[in-house]
Amino acid sequence: MPILVLQDVHKTYQEGETPVPAVRGVSLEVQAGELVALMGPSGCGKSTLLHICGAMDRASAGEVWLEGNRLSGLSDQEMTVLRRRRVGFVFQFFNFLPTLTVLDNIALPRLLDGAPKQETSREARELAGTLGLGDRLGRYPSQLSGGEMQRVALARAIIHKPALVIADEPTGSLDSENGLRILKLFQTLNRESGLTVVLATHSAETAAIAGRILRMRDGRLRFPSTEKETPGTASQTGGAEVPR
Amino acid sequence: MTLFRIFILRRLLQQPLATAGTLVGVALGIAVVIAIQMANSTSVQSFAQALETMAGKTSLEIVSTGRRIDETVLGSLGWLRQYGSISPVIESDVLVSNNQGTLESVRLLGIDILRDHPFREYQLLDFGNDGTPDPRRFLSLLLDPDSIVLTEKYARRNGFQVGSEVKVVAGDEARILRVAGLLRNIGPARTLDGNFALMDIAAAQLLVDRLGQIDRVDIKMPEGAKLGSVEQGIAARLPAGLQVQPPARRGKQVEKMLEAFHFNLTALSYIALLVGLFLIYSNISTSVIARREEIGMLRALGLTRSQALALFLGEAGFLSTIGCALGLVLARALALGAVAVTSTTVNSLYVTSQAPPPPLGVWQAVLAFGIGIPLCLLAAALPAAEASRVPPLAAIRGADRTAAGGALRTRYLLVSLVLGLAAWWLTGFAPVRGLPLAGYASALATVFAAAFAIPPALLLTLRIGGRLFHVLFGVEGTLASANLLASLRRISIPVAALVVSLAMMVAIAIMVGSFRQTVLYWVEQTLHADLYLRPAARANVATEGAISAEAEALILSDPSIEAASRYRNFDIPYGEARVTIAGGDFTTQLKHGGLLFKAPLDGLRAMERARESGGVIASESFSLRYRKLPGDSVTLPTAHGTASFRIAGVFYDYSSDRGVLVMDYATLARHFGPLRPTNLSLYLKPGADPEKVRAAILERLGDRYRYFVFTNASLKAEVLRVFDSTFAITYGLELIAIFVAILGVVTSLLTLILERRRDLVSLRLVGAERRQVRKMVMIESGIMGAVSQACGTGVGFILSLILIYVINVQSFGWTIQFHVPWAFLAQTTVLILIATVLSGLYPAYLATASTLMEQAE
Repeated sequence: MPILVLQDVHKTYQEGETPVPAVRGVSLEVQAGELVALMGPSGCGKSTLLHICGAMDRASAGEVWLEGNRLSGLSDQEMTVLRRRRVGFVFQFFNFLPTLTVLDNIALPRLLDGAPKQETSREARELAGTLGLGDRLGRYPSQLSGGEMQRVALARAIIHKPALVIADEPTGSLDSENGLRILKLFQTLNRESGLTVVLATHSAETAAIAGRILRMRDGRLRFPSTEKETPGTASQTGGAEVPR
Repeated sequence: MTLFRIFILRRLLQQPLATAGTLVGVALGIAVVIAIQMANSTSVQSFAQALETMAGKTSLEIVSTGRRIDETVLGSLGWLRQYGSISPVIESDVLVSNNQGTLESVRLLGIDILRDHPFREYQLLDFGNDGTPDPRRFLSLLLDPDSIVLTEKYARRNGFQVGSEVKVVAGDEARILRVAGLLRNIGPARTLDGNFALMDIAAAQLLVDRLGQIDRVDIKMPEGAKLGSVEQGIAARLPAGLQVQPPARRGKQVEKMLEAFHFNLTALSYIALLVGLFLIYSNISTSVIARREEIGMLRALGLTRSQALALFLGEAGFLSTIGCALGLVLARALALGAVAVTSTTVNSLYVTSQAPPPPLGVWQAVLAFGIGIPLCLLAAALPAAEASRVPPLAAIRGADRTAAGGALRTRYLLVSLVLGLAAWWLTGFAPVRGLPLAGYASALATVFAAAFAIPPALLLTLRIGGRLFHVLFGVEGTLASANLLASLRRISIPVAALVVSLAMMVAIAIMVGSFRQTVLYWVEQTLHADLYLRPAARANVATEGAISAEAEALILSDPSIEAASRYRNFDIPYGEARVTIAGGDFTTQLKHGGLLFKAPLDGLRAMERARESGGVIASESFSLRYRKLPGDSVTLPTAHGTASFRIAGVFYDYSSDRGVLVMDYATLARHFGPLRPTNLSLYLKPGADPEKVRAAILERLGDRYRYFVFTNASLKAEVLRVFDSTFAITYGLELIAIFVAILGVVTSLLTLILERRRDLVSLRLVGAERRQVRKMVMIESGIMGAVSQACGTGVGFILSLILIYVINVQSFGWTIQFHVPWAFLAQTTVLILIATVLSGLYPAYLATASTLMEQAE
């Protein structure tokens, strides 16, 4: 059953008088439990597409369904609530609230949804423990290493058990060792918990963990969304095989 | 300059609202200071200018050391002509009808035109080419005792012309006079914006019931004579009871009389400026904190420390220059308001003053820029110095930004403690020249002690209250308190500013509330008569208006009256200032009255002793101001030379701060001559209806006599009306200070929002709804408001003690019973909380106005 369906999605930005197309007619289906990598060079439109998939931005044309919800029919408020409950995010630059502790940052989506603080804190503690962050909960984001920060971001992305996790260059700010660690975590969560992940990257190494790789250039997918490029193919294009 | 333009000016333009907020804060602060200075100088200067225009070419004047000069003395002063020309005059405020059917106060000058023409310049309208009349012809105009010369300005304003009939009330009697001529706007006619009238001295004496008396003898010295030696020569020859002085001395006495009132207003006006300075401090330090990395980068590229210092001082200089200029423009409008609000107090308690504030002059500009710019630079000095100390590498790494918030700075607590102790120590000092300078220094030290205690207080609140905020407001509460905790340094300054203004408001509310309660009690205890009468022309103790014998007889003929108490008061010079001498019927007072005595315990016995021995009872303000206690003596100038009076007791009196000495009417008559009373208190027979008796008395007095007749209740209401109008301006000034402080909260919230834009995006990304972000921002402003209100109330209580027990006693000499106006404080607390929460509305709107992706960009 597809969790995410995109049908002829376009996104055009206005730069003064000039319309600048970022996404041009992308159609795509992501099944539940899939780990999809969106690959392409900088500026090819993959982040824009990711934002549209995650209900952060609206398409200029075309339709997007997330768990059966037609996003163009939702109000800003409904989009926010859908995002809060059904989508998790991991970004290259983490996007934490520097004023909150690690524990509160992890718990934030649940707290924003009105969950009781005690229950949320317990869940956040458990999750942090499984991600090896148990002794970092009282700290502030600025007091963590890059690898720790991305694990916190991952914890925040999944605490509310989302239907879809969107990850935009999740290893972009990490050294190779920490990058690998995070990718393993994505893989494990995808395999063991059936977490659906769409991640954008320009790195073949990162894309190699995906079950399906989609390549993007100039706002278009190079392959039809139903075709599948295997990780092996990715490695042939220069990517490294990720140990499993 | 280029660096200043791209680094400072550009930022100010990029944040137009925060910049505008700071400018308005500084402008209002300066405007209030200048406006109060203008309003104060208006009341003093209108008196001094009236004095100067009326004095004309007078070099010296002979006045009585007591009240007035007996005309018969003039015969023995013929030798004065050796020193120059002389002109006897009388001067009085009378009421003249205007075109609105009401009465206006007009300064009346009675002169002997044959002697007076060298002294003052009079030009009559339609009277020859240059309007200067031949004295004999002028005399012919004035000789008719039913004629009066008004000014062209007054006549034109009210539609009068030569030959018109005008109603003039002098003392208690209304008379119809004919306008004999109109004076051009030159010489004394310029007095009080044209509210001036001229009569022959004899006619004026008749009108104001001063037959046989003159106010002074003006002397015009010949060219080249030396003032000092002439004054000495005259002083040596004058008989007892007379003195020679330059005319300006009377102005000085009035200035001295108003000094405490003006000083307190001026001090109050500086609160808004102080709050404005907090805004400048806040703006510059926010700018420095927000741009540490940029400063570090510039320092790495070669910007020297002094250049960094100059950049931020330049920002303060730029903001203060524009703020002062705007403030100057605003000042006159505020001054007009201030004059209107204070005029009731000045006119009822001190002197008649009716001039509008002068137009803005160079002096006001010098004052605005001279005070505003240096103080703003001083306020910016600390953050600018901090900018100059930014280490290039640390700033680039951003390492010290994260360390900024959250830690308890014990040095702030220490400074606060030291300032608090200094404030307590300063309360022990005596006033300097009658002004409570140490008291104000103590209040200022308290204010700064409070300001330094704000960061620890905020830290404590946010740390302890974090959980509570979550319970009360949910996750938005947690986010808000975390945000504030991280921005502790930035928010401390606007919160401190709000604390200062709220503390002053609470202090003033407690002081005024206590004072009002005390006055209420005093009024209840002392006002026992059923009816109180005074002539309509009598505006204050300095204006004339005695009750004529005929009117008194008419009044007392009412069969419902059981007893009447006569009261007479007038001003005399005492030391550098003036005090009020009063005579009252002690016998009636002992039986019916209810004066409250401070000392001795048995005040009535003291009053009786004063009556028997010819002594006086002194008001508390006299006792404190001149340090006189029961048993001490005071020497006063009387009609028969100086005389010594023993003070039998000290009574509470809140009607005047200048000091009152009351003696029995018989004692007054013995020393100052047979004087008509200025007030009557009537005690009615049991069962008599005061309203009906009042109506009957007014009917009996008819159109001929003009009186204010108050029933007991309406007099009490009148006392409170004057009281409330006196303090109206204090609330006005306070409101401006609070407005400026709330502006500070808004601008700092705006700055915080702009700086946190990235964090707000993160928050929206993880699913925060717009309303949640808005709620969070408004909780932040609410927390800032609540902490400010709590600290402001606490500090306000301390300040109120200083105001009541130090500043008030030293300024006015009044004992005030401490009373907390809880209802008022509760209302203002709620209002301020609502206002501060609402102050977050716009920043909250701004935080969520754009779409998520627009924000992310």
